[in-house]
Amino acid sequence: MKIIKDKVASLSFVALLMALTAAMFYAPTASAHGEKSQAAFMRMRTIHWYDLNWSKDEVAVNETVTISGKFHVFSGWPESVDEPDVSFLNIGIPGPVFIRAGSWIGGQLVPRSVALSLGETYDFKVLLKARRPGDWHVHTMMNVQGGGPIIGPGKWVTITGSMSQFVNPIVTLTGKTLDLETYNIGNIYFWHAVWYAVGVAWMWYWAKGPIFIPRQLAVASGKANTLISAGDKKVGIAFLVGTIVANAVLMGTTNEAYPVTTPLQAGTMRGIIPLELPVPSVSVVVDDATYRVPGRAMQMSLTITNNGDSSVRLGEFMTASVRFLEPNVLEDETGYPDDLLAEEGLTVSDNSPLAPGETRSVSVTASDAAWEVYRLADLIYDPDSRFAGLLFFFDEAGNRQMVMVDAPLIPSFI
Amino acid sequence: MSASQSAVRSRAEAVAVSRTFDWMILFVLFTAVLGGYHIHFMLTGGDWDFWSDWKDRRLWVTVVPIVAITFPAAVQACLWWRYRLPIGATLCVLALLLGEWINRYMNFWGWTYFPINICFPSQLIPGAIILDVVLMLSGSMTLTAVAGGLGWGLIFYPSNWPVIAPLHQPVEYNGMMFTLADLSGYHYVRTGTPEYIRMVEKGTLRTFGKDVAPVSAFFSGFVSVIIYFLWHFFGKWFAGTGFIADDAS
Repeated sequence: MKIIKDKVASLSFVALLMALTAAMFYAPTASAHGEKSQAAFMRMRTIHWYDLNWSKDEVAVNETVTISGKFHVFSGWPESVDEPDVSFLNIGIPGPVFIRAGSWIGGQLVPRSVALSLGETYDFKVLLKARRPGDWHVHTMMNVQGGGPIIGPGKWVTITGSMSQFVNPIVTLTGKTLDLETYNIGNIYFWHAVWYAVGVAWMWYWAKGPIFIPRQLAVASGKANTLISAGDKKVGIAFLVGTIVANAVLMGTTNEAYPVTTPLQAGTMRGIIPLELPVPSVSVVVDDATYRVPGRAMQMSLTITNNGDSSVRLGEFMTASVRFLEPNVLEDETGYPDDLLAEEGLTVSDNSPLAPGETRSVSVTASDAAWEVYRLADLIYDPDSRFAGLLFFFDEAGNRQMVMVDAPLIPSFI
Repeated sequence: MSASQSAVRSRAEAVAVSRTFDWMILFVLFTAVLGGYHIHFMLTGGDWDFWSDWKDRRLWVTVVPIVAITFPAAVQACLWWRYRLPIGATLCVLALLLGEWINRYMNFWGWTYFPINICFPSQLIPGAIILDVVLMLSGSMTLTAVAGGLGWGLIFYPSNWPVIAPLHQPVEYNGMMFTLADLSGYHYVRTGTPEYIRMVEKGTLRTFGKDVAPVSAFFSGFVSVIIYFLWHFFGKWFAGTGFIADDAS
């Protein structure tokens, strides 16, 4: 038996050493937000984030970064995800490394959940104030009740300086200026310490004498009533009365100190105004779409009709935050995250200007490693094998039109 | 020394061993309750206890005392009926608060940098003292459940008010009104806790104007009475020693 015990002990010690050594030599930073793990259809067919801009890549503590852009709420919202009647514009960061100094949809401050409408496009802005130094991956994000978080593109932002310098000044409606970072902390510690001391005193009163064995023997021998003395009862009454009176007094003095208090604010905000986008003059019919698994490429056969008065060319296909650009038409100048940008990822069989009134059938291929890296290829394993995305057309003057596509997708394994 | 001989040779030695045993058991009991009660409370009270912007005058006042009276009732049953020790509720709450403070300071603040003023635990000690003293004075489970349980629910809001009142001061921020607690919840980003799961100020209790906290506290106290009975029986059952052949109690 002893040999077995010794072996178990020594093996456990070796295992512990190995675990510690492994942790020392390989402890990668956990910086992802699970965006690649989210089901591909959710990223493709719910919220489409575009025209995103991160105002800065590097800020000092107390400085601000603005993330702005638009999001389109897909009209072909999947049945398995609750519609965005209760949604919250969040931000995907590892804890409060920034504070959210403000967030707006359609110019309306949205500190609470909002109701969004399918098929509409909204502009948004999130103002972040740097708090904790480090390199942080900052994602746009929309939480949808019954659907979960729908995460958008992320970009690295560096915060420099020291967190001890961070301040969060606020002026209350009663005219008091305070730093929300530290406000009330001393008061919290004080009252918790006071009541903890009262609790310990009560415990100590009973624990200072014999506790378990003698008392258990007394109870077992029918002398339980002798264990609580008159003195004990007096002490108990003192604790009871003291506790009730102290709380009554504290309630009164607190109300005197803070005569103006309000309940927590809650409730869904409705009536968020979407963008009024012009009706696109380009119409697109998806004749068929296939995803070629070995080639990491999606091919669409499109019939495009130009109903406008100037010729257009297809410049971009965007789905699940991955942008496939046609390099002859569009170059990204916004600093969009590299891993989500396929700068030469879109090829069109005939991308010569489509004249007004002309209809043309073309083959469009969106190919990039991002299909695999961002696990969009997993779409073929989804229960509803459809794809969706935004097509951006540009006329000769550089004006842009956005057309949404949504169609079944057939995987090709050879 | 044979197995049938006493391990101690004098009364002084017996007292010393008994006291050592007291402290050992008290330590084990305290840490075991800390773990069990803390997990129970995190799973049932959860966000209401974690965040200042969940500490409202309706659901926080109602939910937290109800889910928190469980372990105190059970441990009281054990310590009172076996040892006539009226410390069960206080021991539980002290253990819970120690565990919570370690968690809030080390994890919420030390690891994820939420300021303590958004993630401090609720105050439960005054209610625990009421439960213990009522049990000691009455010696009655029924009276402790009714008077103590009601007191436990009623004193919860007043005992927390000195700490949360400063955070309920109103602020105008970008054209909207917030309390400081709301603003903390908005500023200090919780990626995994979207605003819509915050269950505050919900319900149909709208006929008492702004004075809903006392009504919620009464309701909480009433349900706490029922939960006390239930968990007191759990405690009695759990502390049974029927598995020892000569002790069927």
